[in-house]
Amino acid sequence: MTIRSDRDHGQRYRPRMSCLKKLEATVVQMQDPSTGVKGTDQKLNITTIPHVITGQDIVAWITKNVNIDNDEAQAFGTMLVAFGYIYPLQDHKKLVLRPDGSLYRFQTPYFWPVQKWKAEDTDYAIYLAKRNIRKKGVLHAYEQEEYNKLHKWMNHKWDFIVMQAKEQYQFQSLSKADRVVFDCQERAYWIVHRPPPQTHSAMDYGLDRHIDRNAEEKKTYDYYRRIIIYTQQAVMRSRVKSSVSLGALAKYITTFKNHDPFLVPCLPSNPWHTDDNSYWELNAPDVEIPTKMSVERWSFSFYELLNDPRGRADFKIFLKKEFSGENLAFWEAAEELKWGTAASMSEKAEQIFKTFLAPGAPRWINIDGRTMGLTVKGLEHPHRYVLDAAQTHIFMLMKKDTFYRYLKSPVYKEIQKKAISPAPHNFSEAQLQQNMRNRRPSINPIITWQKEQEEKAKAAAAAGPVDIKKLMASKLDRK
Amino acid sequence: MSRWRQSVVEIQTRKRQVNECERAQAALSKVTACFQQMATSLGSNMDGSFLREELEETRTVAHKICSGLHRRLLSLLIEMEQGQEDKEQVERLWVMILSSLENFQRDLKKVKVLQEIFPLTQRKDRQALINAGYAGGTSEVAARAAMVQTPWLSVEETASPDLKNHIVEIDVLLEEMFQRVNVPLWSVEPTQEAWVEGVSTQDGGQEEDESLEDIMEVEVVSQNSTSGCCNHHNCKVGCLLCLLS
Repeated sequence: MTIRSDRDHGQRYRPRMSCLKKLEATVVQMQDPSTGVKGTDQKLNITTIPHVITGQDIVAWITKNVNIDNDEAQAFGTMLVAFGYIYPLQDHKKLVLRPDGSLYRFQTPYFWPVQKWKAEDTDYAIYLAKRNIRKKGVLHAYEQEEYNKLHKWMNHKWDFIVMQAKEQYQFQSLSKADRVVFDCQERAYWIVHRPPPQTHSAMDYGLDRHIDRNAEEKKTYDYYRRIIIYTQQAVMRSRVKSSVSLGALAKYITTFKNHDPFLVPCLPSNPWHTDDNSYWELNAPDVEIPTKMSVERWSFSFYELLNDPRGRADFKIFLKKEFSGENLAFWEAAEELKWGTAASMSEKAEQIFKTFLAPGAPRWINIDGRTMGLTVKGLEHPHRYVLDAAQTHIFMLMKKDTFYRYLKSPVYKEIQKKAISPAPHNFSEAQLQQNMRNRRPSINPIITWQKEQEEKAKAAAAAGPVDIKKLMASKLDRK
Repeated sequence: MSRWRQSVVEIQTRKRQVNECERAQAALSKVTACFQQMATSLGSNMDGSFLREELEETRTVAHKICSGLHRRLLSLLIEMEQGQEDKEQVERLWVMILSSLENFQRDLKKVKVLQEIFPLTQRKDRQALINAGYAGGTSEVAARAAMVQTPWLSVEETASPDLKNHIVEIDVLLEEMFQRVNVPLWSVEPTQEAWVEGVSTQDGGQEEDESLEDIMEVEVVSQNSTSGCCNHHNCKVGCLLCLLS
């Protein structure tokens, strides 16, 4: 039984189906006997059934009346079929409009998809029971599964369902032709609303919504209060001249336009199109030689460099040469604190304090006194964002100073020279099919995580407090 | 021990009432099925004022059966005591009437909306009716519905409401039923098992059904080798939402 109460806060409104109302208007026009699509009679063994239309007629009518070109008209027609306003008579499982002589018929308005009401499971159970009666237990595999599921779930209603199914099945008094028409209609309706597995359904709209988008919202006190707060906040926002913001946008676009996979095909080939994984392999975080595109991207901004794991590794090598790795180490430690588990937070905070912030610490970072004071005070009661001020300061320091030195350094120039530029793939149709067949799942994420942990352990061991004396001693020894 | 205290007369009356309710339930089932069948031709080329009148009549019959059944079943359930023999039967009837009422209310809502979309007040409205392929008439269905009689011995005078009020009335009925009787719905065991209805067949209907299936399977047009939805050579997606075209 459906739960019925006004306080039921379940989500039940379907979004994004407002196109259905517009489609209905078009369908009504389409079937107009004088100006609509021309219908013929379908000849079956025993009877003739009127009002049958062909695919090419539909496409032609749509092209003329909606004033679009042929390809779009076909897509539009396919949408009509997929939503269930027209159903195909041949190959009824595939809801596509074929622009040839294949036959279609209009669906009766009772079975039109309506935004407000979903196709109910009770009705589906009755339909399956009817089909069971008619076909004497021979249903499709997915229908059998659904039947069993519904039987288990709606067990208490089962008497009612069987009784209704038997009653509805008894309509033998209708003429043969009408029975065929009705059965075709019902079958088409259920193919749209309960699609067979591994087919796409046009009624797939995601989750139900809590609020009905079509209903007018009641103007209560709460509503007005909400609107007032919203507008007050909107007025208080800081304003930027459009010339400034548009200039920033234009600059961003010119910088990044060659790196957008929608605008420029990515090298060697887009794995989603060609099922070839080389693009992902070449850009993996632990790859030896990065691609030219990534290296170029690192030079755009410090944020890009830090975000790309390969770029960060390169930057780390550079910093090691300069003996100023503590800034980046602190930044990474702060990130770990931000994103880490709540349990480990106090422990991490203490470690960070000992390593980076305490006076005389092994990797002491150079931040101004005010920030240092704030951070140390905050560390008494550590929370996730206690290092935020210090982290921002360090970030700006690295960006303004170290980043530009990095870009001019021999490390970066060497990487630029070594970077590879893969040639674009050019797969033939047969190769594409083969790629599709050879699709394999990628590395188990558990293995990737384990590798990361190993790397971290190695890095932690290596980056222990660098004993300057020992290092200088070893250098002096060699001399 | 209370059931031994009931007199024979009481037991007999109760049995009669339960049987009456069962017959009424079967009748209601029939009427709602007819109503649905007629509702499917609303808005199609078979629609007409005749169909709408028949719908109205069927709805009135259903309303009469509904209200009578509801009243009787409610009284049966309220005066039911623990450990009564026909407890299961009455509860089963209860679930069935709730489901039929909900089903019927859904059909009523659909009918209301369809009647608003396809009003038949003017001549040119007939052009808007969808040519869905019907050729015959629904007069037999309506006759079937009219044949159903209310199995009450006494005639009750209740005014049957119009469509909108009927929907609201069913809402009220259902609300009342849920509040006054507390029967856990999931505890009711059905008498029918799964898949049973497919096994039992009637002789007369067999050959007709087979040929019906043949008729519905129009021969498939030979498809060309591309299994995509559009003509793009890279399209392997069988749906209309591919981005390649």
